[in-house]
Amino acid sequence: MVTAMTDAYKRRLTAGDISVGDTGPEVVVKDLEREDFVRYAGASGDFNPIHYDEPYARDAGNESVFAQGMLTAGFASHAISDWFGLDRIERFTIRFQERVFPGNTITVTGEITDVADGDAEVIVTADLEAKTDGGDVVLSGETVARLPSE
Amino acid sequence: MPSKSLAALERQVGRTVTTVEDLVVELGKVEEFARAIKDDNPVFRDEESAREQGYETVLAPLTFTRTAYFPRYRPDGVGLNHGFDLGFDQSRVVHGEQEYVYKQPIHVGDVISGETTLIDVYERTGSRGGTMTFAVFETVYRNADGEHVLTERLTRIELAGDGDGDD
Repeated sequence: MVTAMTDAYKRRLTAGDISVGDTGPEVVVKDLEREDFVRYAGASGDFNPIHYDEPYARDAGNESVFAQGMLTAGFASHAISDWFGLDRIERFTIRFQERVFPGNTITVTGEITDVADGDAEVIVTADLEAKTDGGDVVLSGETVARLPSE
Repeated sequence: MPSKSLAALERQVGRTVTTVEDLVVELGKVEEFARAIKDDNPVFRDEESAREQGYETVLAPLTFTRTAYFPRYRPDGVGLNHGFDLGFDQSRVVHGEQEYVYKQPIHVGDVISGETTLIDVYERTGSRGGTMTFAVFETVYRNADGEHVLTERLTRIELAGDGDGDD
């Protein structure tokens, strides 16, 4: 199974490493398959058949089965936990915009929009986006993280 | 539109239900979840790697509490609807938004419980007419010591149905 590699988690950022406009590690998940939706169903407990049962999904008016929104949110979580560190993330907000279908390649990107000084730390806000290879935004979101000053 | 009136839904706002009990954060389940979201970070897999990254032990991914829907962790009668009957037509329900506010990371070995409150319901007109109904659930998760570990807000939307445009 292919995992989406970024090595950013190996680096612990501090305030001096970041500024507004910086972009984070890209998480690229290539060529999603129905198997990926089934695996997420088993791992997460989301067994809504709309994500793996083709006749059911079509009868409900969809062109095919589509991914659980929380699977795409998981790809976005990967980007921000590698970027800022799991223990430094204070908030993670996700809006589901479009469905993700088998065959889609998903790229998650992030950009720092604000850096505010706190007590011996900075509070970093970043916008997040997940797009298909066709350029459709499937998820947008935001995260807030606290990074030490030094 | 839901089978219940907006006023009937609004009367449920503020009600709190225990929705998650004894969610034991297991190493195998954490690894399985990390694999499913295709996250290769060894922090989700072995203790030595977690320590190298400065953590006490293996941590759970940021969206791991999605596993709280497994029946094993749900008190009787709670199910997928957090114990609320909103009368939504399930075939038209979508997940609109999700928000997490983290107080501390979730570690392997933690035992998590959760209480869910319906914090808001409202209607909007859909882009093609008809009524969309929104319900916002807030779940506060605590560990076995009663410490607040995270708050999760989930927005479920019942999309406008074919007949709703004429309402």
